[in-house]
Amino acid sequence: MKRRFDIGDNVCVRSIDKPGHVRIPFYIRGKLGTILQYCGRYLNPEDLAVGKTSGPGVDLYRVEFVQNTLWDQPDNQPQDKLVIEIYDHWLTQTNTLVKSRAEV
Amino acid sequence: MSKNHEHTHNEHEPIVVEDDAGNLEAQIIIDALQDVLMANGLLTAPEVTKQIEVMEAKGVHLGAKIVAKAWKDPDYKARLLENGKSCIQEIGIPVGEAQIIVVENTSQVHNLITCTLCSCYPRSILGQPPSWYISKAYRARSVREPRRVLAEFGLELSLDIQLIVHDSNADMRYLVLPQAPENIDDIDMKTAETLVTRDHLIGVRR
Amino acid sequence: MKGYHDIGGDKAGVIPKEELPWLYWEKKVEAIRNLLGDGTRRIIALDEMRRGFESFGQDKYDNLSFYRRRLEAMIDILIEKEIITQAELDAAIGEKKRVWASELKNSSKI
Repeated sequence: MKRRFDIGDNVCVRSIDKPGHVRIPFYIRGKLGTILQYCGRYLNPEDLAVGKTSGPGVDLYRVEFVQNTLWDQPDNQPQDKLVIEIYDHWLTQTNTLVKSRAEV
Repeated sequence: MSKNHEHTHNEHEPIVVEDDAGNLEAQIIIDALQDVLMANGLLTAPEVTKQIEVMEAKGVHLGAKIVAKAWKDPDYKARLLENGKSCIQEIGIPVGEAQIIVVENTSQVHNLITCTLCSCYPRSILGQPPSWYISKAYRARSVREPRRVLAEFGLELSLDIQLIVHDSNADMRYLVLPQAPENIDDIDMKTAETLVTRDHLIGVRR
Repeated sequence: MKGYHDIGGDKAGVIPKEELPWLYWEKKVEAIRNLLGDGTRRIIALDEMRRGFESFGQDKYDNLSFYRRRLEAMIDILIEKEIITQAELDAAIGEKKRVWASELKNSSKI
């Protein structure tokens, strides 16, 4: 199956309150980032957490965020980035360009 | 910090350690658990001893070996940045993680590794993380105010350098490739290895 | 709801930089978890243990040390999956305590 995102795509992390064990921290939910790297397919930790150790696996990406879009923290410089891994089902495509707080 | 320290503020306790009674209690519980697991035929005492030996054999010396080789061998470095796991295994270091992403520091870029949700760390190479890495203070602050965190470690990062924080939240694990010293061509591999510290590989040193 | 373990970006104090020793019981916790999760056993997945300490309550999470959290979560999952029972663990703990109590008594006589 063809994967949904290519390197450089703008994406948004879904802002959902999913119960149970998830690996997507709150601070990154609802944020806009850019696909940096495709990591391959891995078993979904949300399934592994409840003992489901088989299945097709899900696409995992490294996604890059501009620090100034995440925090109101003057020490962070405009060029500073945060990179985090996000599973496919937590991502939506977006055409919104990523702007830092200073530009909004 | 005592485990029963009372706090009225809303900040996280930086780190919780067991007192003597807590350590003795934990030792008794894990011993007992091992007995039960052995009685049920799920593991053996030699397996546990062997596994501890395997974990103890990991450490910064393995990370230093990878870094020194990358410094001395540009072809290896290029491949290492492309596929960390296979290049690390190629020099005889077993890797248990799904993938090791090696991130390169340059004159313009500095990388910092953290894990905010728990304490993910390239354990099959570096062994257990230092206690500050698993502290709530580091986990909480490393993503929001990484420059302040670096300053606490004595690294005042120049404002024009790009700082990239990597939160190891899922299946990848990370290793920082520090900048090679200027005299890298004049020193041998063994000497180069001695220049690498664990803190370089996490990114709290540059 | 944000889990109590999900602390990225929260306020926190100065990072404690003392290097603490890695104790033998802590190594044993890691060793046994590794063995139970290895390719031949597949008894506990890492994410199952994480679910354990992410759901056993904030008081426990905040008051237990890193390795103690992992130990408690591992036990919870083993009991939940009926790999062991609380009764057999309690019996083994009772036995260990008796041995330790007599060890400590003997050593204080020296």
